[in-house]
Amino acid sequence: MRTLRLLTVGGVIAYRALFNWTTPAMFVGTLLVSPVFQLLFFVYLGRTLHVGDDLGYLVGNAVLSAALACVYGGTMAVANERRYGTLGPLLLSPLRRAAVFGGRALPYAVNGVLISAFTLTVGALLLRIPIGVRSLPGLALAICVGALSCSFFGLTLGSIGLRFRDVWLVSNVADAVLLLVSGVNVAPAALPPVLRAAGALLPLRHAATAAREAAGGAPLARLVPPLGAELGLAAGYALLAIGLLALFERGSRRHATLDVL
Amino acid sequence: MNPVRMLLLGTLLQVKQQSRSPLEITISLLVPLVQATLAVYLFKAGTNPPALLLAAVGAGMMGVWSSVLFGSGAAIQNQRFQGTLEILMITPMRPAFKILPITLATGLVGLYSVVATLLWGVLLLGVPPSFAAPLWFVVAAPVCVLALGAFGLLLASTFVLLRNANAIVNPLGYPVWLLSGMLVPVTALPGWTGPIAAVLPTTWGARALRAAVTGGPVWPALALCVGEALIALVLGAIALHFVDRRARVTATLALT
Repeated sequence: MRTLRLLTVGGVIAYRALFNWTTPAMFVGTLLVSPVFQLLFFVYLGRTLHVGDDLGYLVGNAVLSAALACVYGGTMAVANERRYGTLGPLLLSPLRRAAVFGGRALPYAVNGVLISAFTLTVGALLLRIPIGVRSLPGLALAICVGALSCSFFGLTLGSIGLRFRDVWLVSNVADAVLLLVSGVNVAPAALPPVLRAAGALLPLRHAATAAREAAGGAPLARLVPPLGAELGLAAGYALLAIGLLALFERGSRRHATLDVL
Repeated sequence: MNPVRMLLLGTLLQVKQQSRSPLEITISLLVPLVQATLAVYLFKAGTNPPALLLAAVGAGMMGVWSSVLFGSGAAIQNQRFQGTLEILMITPMRPAFKILPITLATGLVGLYSVVATLLWGVLLLGVPPSFAAPLWFVVAAPVCVLALGAFGLLLASTFVLLRNANAIVNPLGYPVWLLSGMLVPVTALPGWTGPIAAVLPTTWGARALRAAVTGGPVWPALALCVGEALIALVLGAIALHFVDRRARVTATLALT
């Protein structure tokens, strides 16, 4: 019960305290408007170059839009503790780190789902792209799994904030790399093997594949392999985040560098 | 102090300062490289794609705009955080001469993007360096960058009035990339976007660089880019003058 409370209530409190983009202006401007413009940019680029189709870009970029909240949010969830001077008291508490930090990823995953749904809806309305009602369950599933996976990936990046000062540098690069290798805007087959492999190990590639299949009318059963792979990545990043947090916490205690900015 | 000397020294100082920030360097170098890679592979995947060099040049221009946008948005805010805003503003010089070096520097730091994406494209992605007018490109690129830096003064003076400037800055990247034709030709967009694109110096800057790559007259677009940037510079200077006076009267200069 206590662990569940830490995961949920603790996660929400941390979200409200540490996420810099919760003011209405920042939330709307950065998290809602920006992904819609990103979607429009790639739809028009795809049309100009005759690459892919509008539906593929719409659905793929809607899934990708969760990255903004999840990557930067996950980073803020850890790095801002140090910035606001609360990291010391937090790490002094005898609470289980897995529950404390694991719960922090959840609000960002919910945020990511909301942003993806908004981008998909507004994009479909602006571009007049019909989405079948039968595609919606599969799309919703893909969006949820993608946001969860990306959220744990963000937490992994955030854990680096316990060790390195310029964690925003990491999240900026990660966001750009996801744009390139997630297969949303450039087909994986068109990328060199190294980038293709990187895309398979980073979040959102499999979720975007599942979302596109769902939008194309595929039954839920066909979404199981890509969504299973994405869930596997989510679990992997969750474990990696907890492991890195424990490692860097020990290191920062040993070298007395916890509050070094 | 001589205003020209102050502009030159101030710009040099700001370029040095911004070039030492890992975050600035990342945004100016690494992110445009990723965007150039994306653009080149997208162009390669397309049927009947335009010249691949346009992808590298377009990604570079996108980097310049990002640098100017984020740099100008934070130009005054950063001075506040560093505690140097009051010292800067009491200098006996017009406000525009104090802030313009910062925004010009953001443009010049953005020039890294153009150089980096070109080198990246040519050396690693197999983009043929086939400029229709290479000399015009060498002239047009720095002129565009400086023009965008001057345009940044108007952005900086506008953003200083807004409490949540970042809320405006963050979503302004993609629409300007799209409307200016940095990768997508303006003709591919709905007709109603034309007048909006026409008032952006980024549109004419991108058009001038495209002309230097694919052929066609460079100077008309370049002249329009510089002309619009000068108008923005005058408007920015007037706006900054009023912002400065208001902040002094209400004693809110250092307030975030």
